[in-house]
Amino acid sequence: MNSGVSDETLHAFVDGELDVAEREALTARMQADPELARRVCAVRTLRDMVRLAYAEPPAAAPHRAADARDRFARRCALGCLVLFVGLAAGWVLRGRENPVMAALAPAVHDAAFQPVSLAREPDPNRILLHLDSGEPERMQAALDHADRLLVEAERQGRQMQLEIVANSYGLDLLRAGNPYADRIERMRRRHANVQWVACNQTIARLNSQGAAITLLPAARIAPSAIGEIVTRLQQGWTYVRV
Amino acid sequence: MIRCALFGPFRPGVESLRPVLYRIAYAWCHDASLADDLVQDTLSKAWTQRAQLREAAAMKAWAVAIMHRCWMDHLRARRDFDNLDDWQDAIESAADTPEACCDREQVIACVRAAVARLPLGQRQVLTLVDLEEFGYAEVAKILDIPVGTVMSRLSRARAGLKVMLDRAMRQTTERPALRRVK
Repeated sequence: MNSGVSDETLHAFVDGELDVAEREALTARMQADPELARRVCAVRTLRDMVRLAYAEPPAAAPHRAADARDRFARRCALGCLVLFVGLAAGWVLRGRENPVMAALAPAVHDAAFQPVSLAREPDPNRILLHLDSGEPERMQAALDHADRLLVEAERQGRQMQLEIVANSYGLDLLRAGNPYADRIERMRRRHANVQWVACNQTIARLNSQGAAITLLPAARIAPSAIGEIVTRLQQGWTYVRV
Repeated sequence: MIRCALFGPFRPGVESLRPVLYRIAYAWCHDASLADDLVQDTLSKAWTQRAQLREAAAMKAWAVAIMHRCWMDHLRARRDFDNLDDWQDAIESAADTPEACCDREQVIACVRAAVARLPLGQRQVLTLVDLEEFGYAEVAKILDIPVGTVMSRLSRARAGLKVMLDRAMRQTTERPALRRVK
């Protein structure tokens, strides 16, 4: 009945556990031996039946009480988390009112402009403004902020460097013919310490979409906005996202 | 999102195994709520032992191995077996013998009943190989038994299943349909 092939070997064959040579040998024997082929078929059928039997196991009855408790516990956990985060943030941000931050006053006054720096004390004299939005109010805000920083520095007699990096939709700020072109030109004439940087990746992307990009004469092109930002941060600049 | 940030990428990964684990657990114990408990236990154990998981690809086998241990613990707690190994080959299930199989629903019920009547060790090997297509070596690792044992258990399980199902089929054909009138 066994025709020389053990059940184990047969199962291993069906389950794909044999190596290529064994598999081929057995396939060849199956063609010559209908009884063997029938046994293989029977094993396959059995396996398929087991699979079918558990394709859709009955769902467990929901434990209502446990569920409610679980949800309550989850809500408590979330509440605790929020409280904890709040306390931690308060603790971390305590005593942030230091003189350097005061120099960054325009940046700090506006909650939206949170400066980031790798240095222990953010450098108020080297600031990078990052604009990635095409909304007019954000562009306006970027320019206003830049103006404020420059005027402040002038008033305090500080030598400051300012860089405005535009990418994504923010690139529009540096494209020729935009509504802010005149203002940018005026700022460029007045302050030699301002650089306008356009992201080449954005330009390339827009070019590939068929848009011809002409930049303002004030703008210079950096390989990528992110690269520029990282480089500046490493050089000790302060990063402000507009 | 908060959860994701808190628990890292591990949580969704292991959570996605829930249906797989549930199917295996159900095939092992044939009790929906017990299977659900087993899966829950397994997931929480997996979470506490996540540091032991070396490669993400092996997560399924790893989780099933945890579930195997949970299941053994459960059985130990339920009955005081001196030696669980003896019991691996004992018929445990009090399930009815597989009865008449006519339509799809009945085939399913019939196969489940037959699987439930297999000795525990064989049932585990059979379900892991057939349902989840684990390799023999993986099954051996999950259940912590030699590969030879996996093969012999599988072969006995299938032989036993075939006998039970054949008998059930024969009963259907021999028995007149009128027998089913209640």
